[in-house]
Amino acid sequence: MWLWFAKLGSPKWFYELSTKWLPWLTAAMVLTLGVATIWALLYLPPDYQQGYTSRILVVHVAVAGTSLAFFPLMAVAGTITLVWKMKLADMVAKNAAALGAWFSFITLATGSLWGSVSWGTWWEWSDSRLVSMLFQFFLLLGVVSLRSALEDSEKAAKACALLSIVGCINVVVIKYSVEWWNTLHQPASPVSMESGSANGPEFWIATALMILGVYLFLSVSLILSTRNEILQRERKALWVQELLADTKSGRG
Amino acid sequence: MDSTALNKPSTWSAFALTLKRDLLIAFKRKNDIVNPFMFFVIVVSLFPLAISPEPTKLAEIAAGVIWIAVLLSAMLSMDSLFRADFEDGSLEMLLLSPHPLFFLVLAKNIAHWIVSGLPVVIASPLLAYMLKLPGDSYLTLLLSLLIGTPTLSLIGSIAVALTVGLGSRGLILAVITLPFSVPVLIFGTLAVQSSAAGLPAGGYLALMLAILAGSLSLAPLTSAAALRISVS
Repeated sequence: MWLWFAKLGSPKWFYELSTKWLPWLTAAMVLTLGVATIWALLYLPPDYQQGYTSRILVVHVAVAGTSLAFFPLMAVAGTITLVWKMKLADMVAKNAAALGAWFSFITLATGSLWGSVSWGTWWEWSDSRLVSMLFQFFLLLGVVSLRSALEDSEKAAKACALLSIVGCINVVVIKYSVEWWNTLHQPASPVSMESGSANGPEFWIATALMILGVYLFLSVSLILSTRNEILQRERKALWVQELLADTKSGRG
Repeated sequence: MDSTALNKPSTWSAFALTLKRDLLIAFKRKNDIVNPFMFFVIVVSLFPLAISPEPTKLAEIAAGVIWIAVLLSAMLSMDSLFRADFEDGSLEMLLLSPHPLFFLVLAKNIAHWIVSGLPVVIASPLLAYMLKLPGDSYLTLLLSLLIGTPTLSLIGSIAVALTVGLGSRGLILAVITLPFSVPVLIFGTLAVQSSAAGLPAGGYLALMLAILAGSLSLAPLTSAAALRISVS
């Protein structure tokens, strides 16, 4: 198991493995995302209360659920960076922060699109999920800006790893404090409709498919950006030089 | 006392010496004490001008205004926590010392809080009076600030330690620290608001104490790790 772990840390090994996996993952992503999107946006029956706007929830729930995975992911990668000094973990974490910020942003955007019809407002401070998602967005942006501020890449890797671990704890604390803050003012949160079982099974199957698709999208984009990062950081390594020479001669 | 401390350096004396040294430096350079305090007073007094001089409106926002002003002044003053020591090299000496960095960082944090947090806490009832905060909630305000400002210092020191080597870092410090201070802000304002409404505020103060206990044990550890990353 440890051998496997040490192997995984080698950028070259990851690059070669991901070259094999990437077509399959991409195909699976296109398939699930395509089916889920067409199904959700064109064929889902309108909800008896929300009408056609319930269709946007399929996208919203999937992206929101996935965006919660980023801080744990970054904290785990950060721990690996700090403890085992594995370069690959940091390459993944570097792009995860920016990607996570985008996911949070899309969650907020789709959520407020849905809310503008269902709640009659684009933004509602009294809802705890909106507020904690907003602060998760801010925290992720903080990690991104710390990364870009520190020039020494090794220092930036460690600093961001530490910030991600602290941020992961903080996201949880913020989530609960916002929830307590909220419930004291407005106990019934309209978002509970989201988890209500009023919607039929086709809604949930579409959502599950969409969640799978979004996770695949997350993996594919992380792998692609990590591959980029590997090529850039290891550009002086022999295997990268050979790879580049191969692609050039292949084209020419 | 100093010579015995040097001959038999225990962690406790290292802690006390760091605390004493930081306080001495701060009292020699009074800017570090006066500026956060003046900033706090000025920010609070801008709100009535911008919103409304009407007593009922002011009373409604008083708790929030004071807490946000405290948050901003704590954040701005954080910058000076490690900067001078980093520039003259004494921070490296601190890192090289055989004592656990946890206690040295804690000592610096406490000194910093005494210098920049405590004056703000002491002045807060006066400013609360100017904002027409309802009479029953002064004690809660004072207690919540007494618990909350050290927490803010402790949390802020992590971000300061991470960015200590950067040239211009005022804004990045804010971007990192402010979201982290949300729980303190929420419970601090809730405590004051509920006691202004005649409700018990003990629960919120207990939650704030829990956050303080957590950050007291974890934040110096994290700051110490962050300093080892930044200063290398």
